[in-house]
Amino acid sequence: MVNEKVLIKGNYAIAQAAVNAGCQCYFGYPITPQTEIGEYLSGKMQELGRGYVCAESELAAINMVMGAVSTGVKAMTSSSSCAVALMQEALSYAASDELPVVLVNVMRTGPGLGYIYPAQGDYNQAVYGGGNGDYKIIVLAPSTVQECIDLTYRAFYLAQKYRNPVILLADGLLGQMMEPASFGEYPYPEVDVSSWALTGAKNRDARSIYSVAREEKKQIQHIYDLHKKFDVITQNETTFEEFNIEDADIILTVFGSMTRNIKAAMNVLRKKGLKVGVFRPITLSPFPHKRINELASRGKDFIVVEMNMGQMFKDVKFAVEGKVNVDLVNRPCGEWLSVEEIVSSVEKIVEGRKQYAASV
Amino acid sequence: MQQVFSIPKSMKKDFKYTFCPGCDHGIAIRLVAEVIDELGIREDIISSTSVGCSVFLYDFLDIDCVEAPHGRALASATGVKRARPDKFVFTYSGDGDFASIGLAESMHTALRGECISSICINNTTYGMTGGQLGPTTLLGQKTTTSPTGRNVDYYGYPIKIAEHIALCDGTAYSARVALDTIPHINQAKQAIKKAFQVQLDGLGFGFVEILSSCPTNWHMTPEDAHKRVREEMIPVFPLGVFKEVSKDGN
Amino acid sequence: MGKIVIDDSRCKSCYICTMTCPKGLIKKSSKTNRLGDYMVEFNDEKGECIACAMCAKRCPDLAIEVYK
Repeated sequence: MVNEKVLIKGNYAIAQAAVNAGCQCYFGYPITPQTEIGEYLSGKMQELGRGYVCAESELAAINMVMGAVSTGVKAMTSSSSCAVALMQEALSYAASDELPVVLVNVMRTGPGLGYIYPAQGDYNQAVYGGGNGDYKIIVLAPSTVQECIDLTYRAFYLAQKYRNPVILLADGLLGQMMEPASFGEYPYPEVDVSSWALTGAKNRDARSIYSVAREEKKQIQHIYDLHKKFDVITQNETTFEEFNIEDADIILTVFGSMTRNIKAAMNVLRKKGLKVGVFRPITLSPFPHKRINELASRGKDFIVVEMNMGQMFKDVKFAVEGKVNVDLVNRPCGEWLSVEEIVSSVEKIVEGRKQYAASV
Repeated sequence: MQQVFSIPKSMKKDFKYTFCPGCDHGIAIRLVAEVIDELGIREDIISSTSVGCSVFLYDFLDIDCVEAPHGRALASATGVKRARPDKFVFTYSGDGDFASIGLAESMHTALRGECISSICINNTTYGMTGGQLGPTTLLGQKTTTSPTGRNVDYYGYPIKIAEHIALCDGTAYSARVALDTIPHINQAKQAIKKAFQVQLDGLGFGFVEILSSCPTNWHMTPEDAHKRVREEMIPVFPLGVFKEVSKDGN
Repeated sequence: MGKIVIDDSRCKSCYICTMTCPKGLIKKSSKTNRLGDYMVEFNDEKGECIACAMCAKRCPDLAIEVYK
């Protein structure tokens, strides 16, 4: 019955997907709008004889994850925006230590404490990181409850496959909404961790996992190696979704749950005669720069629609290398941009571009 | 002739301590290694160290070790223990790490009664960064950030770590020892062994605070530094066992 | 009767051992290490060492082996 559809809330879907993926330990601290993940798992993990700690802080929670995953098991924590800010130090360590940490961020509004309205303001925090040094995190952005499940599975797999921290970047809307979804079975093979996991120095040399580097040459090489690894990740794991791209003149670019209204907006705009397509990065990091650049080379303009002040907008601008127009339709947080708002904003932009073209 | 004192088997082959001359870290790590040898647990250990002079434990001990960010050794160790309850887990950190930046993690690990053993080196200063005021800096003590000496108005009081940990219900063993004399060194080893044993017996959190010298940052000869441990530290941080839970639950 | 062997590569010249030996058998040497510090040497012409190992137990650098 694993393929049966169930009506389920995004947060519960993420939690149950983690259980299915074989997550052995969960460590967390409550914060709205992701608290259901910890609540759900508190009972579930005990029932299954797995590890669960109501951590004293988010700092402790993510460091518990680091300790747990260093022994080769799958483990995760979940949190939201301002509390994910507290975890940035550990993410930098985990990236350098090459520890397969899985972190779920169900975004709320910032900066500061902000509030519990949904928002997409942590794009920069997730993709560029708030930790120190040259490191990169894999960032996956689901747009539906079904994808919350699928990408939770993928997060655990990629984390161990590449020994790199992974962030699942959901938002309050996805976390709190109910939608039909099916869990299926964890679709990935188990990754062999025996070459590096800490299990006690029995019949082998002692192992240590650390980021401190007293020798300059070693540190330089380590940073090069981390980035070479991420080049491989970029090559193999960059994923995105496209709708009506081929004949499109304008490509609406979105991530996460903003995708939901954008497809409706695309259909309305098409009926009005505008050739509009949609491009959605599923991996925000690695970001599909190459594909966006290809589309730009074919003369397609971009309009980025997001619930922040233009964070992914900068990456799209960077990707098109000035070849085409890139505009922004946005709101910082709160109620998602409606189909009508998106349609009228896009029409205004298109009109503006026409007038500009006529004036030069 | 028979060798009657040698390097413990759990030390790494050809290790070289990178501590300053006269630093008590060397003795503390040797005692830990001797206890590991005597309990026969080397192959089951996953240890966690965080930031400070203590971080280099993995350079010296032939055991699996994961590094944690500053202050998070106990959180990391909790993760390890929950993931692998069958392994022996211990942390080794300084007073700044354990009782300042990591106080919440340390205290809560004790309160949860995690079966983890923890060694804390108290040398009344931040050694690695060059001798600043730390959570255990004594009243009157001059450091680079208390140039006229620690006064209460400005800096508040030093923390008595072992007593605080003893107050936590999940603590099975909490003691304070020193390394300034041979009898104290012998007592320290016994305390470390007990803090390890309570984990093996599943009784809860085992803790030892070790009063140590830092000749470099105290600007003293190693022998004078030990004299200071005796004459200035022990009166403020009394040696002893502050909590001991035995197998029958008393 | 006992004897000790000092590993010069580990010794950091902290001199704790020189003050610990109850018989005063460990002394500053005239030799210096690569940092220019005087090293220590064990000199037991009269066979006084009883292998009490106090020097080794207080040596922070595990530089002393004791034999009996």
